[in-house]
Amino acid sequence: MRRTVALLIAGVVAGLLSVAGPAVAADAPPEIPLTVDTNQFQPAEVKVKANTPFVLVITNKGAKAAEFESKELRVEKVVPAGKTVNVRIRALKPGTYPFADDFNRQVTGRIVAE
Amino acid sequence: MGGTFVVTLREGFEAALILGIVYTYLQKIGAERHYRYATRGGLLGVLASIALGVLVTALSGPLLDLGPDLIGLGVIFVAVIVLTWHGYWMQQHARAMKGDVQRKIDEAQANHRLWIIGVIAFTGVFREGAETVLFLWGLLTQATSTSGWASALGAILGLVVAALLGWAIFRGGRHISLQRFFAVTSVFLLFLAAGMFSTGVGRLEGMGVLPQSPTAWDTSFVLDDHGFVGRFLNGLVGYRARPSLLEAGGYLLYLIVAGALLFKSGASTPRSRAPRGRISAHAA
Repeated sequence: MRRTVALLIAGVVAGLLSVAGPAVAADAPPEIPLTVDTNQFQPAEVKVKANTPFVLVITNKGAKAAEFESKELRVEKVVPAGKTVNVRIRALKPGTYPFADDFNRQVTGRIVAE
Repeated sequence: MGGTFVVTLREGFEAALILGIVYTYLQKIGAERHYRYATRGGLLGVLASIALGVLVTALSGPLLDLGPDLIGLGVIFVAVIVLTWHGYWMQQHARAMKGDVQRKIDEAQANHRLWIIGVIAFTGVFREGAETVLFLWGLLTQATSTSGWASALGAILGLVVAALLGWAIFRGGRHISLQRFFAVTSVFLLFLAAGMFSTGVGRLEGMGVLPQSPTAWDTSFVLDDHGFVGRFLNGLVGYRARPSLLEAGGYLLYLIVAGALLFKSGASTPRSRAPRGRISAHAA
């Protein structure tokens, strides 16, 4: 039984590593800057090309940690104060994808793919 | 203050529920001396959360971009596995409960690897732990002004209330019969794990590992998962206002497969009358 669990866990870890590989190695998609502070996202509306993957480069200029969260994009990413985090976003169908700072819910923004 | 209170209450809620359940479980099977498994698991979860919080603050570049996501995914799927196994085991155990209860329990303790309890406690705490650490850390560094202190206080109160809820489950759980406790918690854990599994599937979708699937339905006009109630339901049973087909499918698939595993043939065990007296005597 113990061995079964060890195997299962090893499988999960191996799966995750195989996920990390391609994510790092793929072609460089366009980088789109986004800053967040205690009051707002800048820009609050991010325009991107539909059907093209991109990287959101999120910089936290505030003094507190922020959490970029979008249920629509299935992304939850903590950005510590003063740090920059790259978040790879898959190709989006045309549409509007809201996001928010989960640590500070009144700070919101959206991605518009067109 | 209210805002920070809700954040930590939400983050701490699931950990408190899980800890409340595993301690009650140990107490129910008469394994109080094994509380340390849960305690150590929980403490390790706290330490790991702090370590990851510090690490995330110190890291930069690709490690910061991907590291926490991969750890988060790993924790989700390990939690799903141990919760499923534990639920399965509880069902087996509840079924075996017809004969001499105490003897069965002793056997159970010998057979069931109680370290699984430790892993459950660990993942329960660690899942939202690092996030909470970073959130609190940010607040505490700001706690120089009055409003800063109020925010920090709100956050700490949120954790305290979450802990009290866990404690309430433990206190309340003692008065329920062992079989009912097993039945209720195995169903609850089944839904909790289904929600986690679906979240994991969604993350994989977000990362581009799984193909993007269309939205299965949209109930955000009834109950938005950004709102207070929606978020709690999200943590408890994995409610989503706009799940993708894969997320919804993953949820259902998990429920069917794990449900079949848990409640297959013989699940309709005859209700035993014996355990009630024995267990409550034992519990006291």
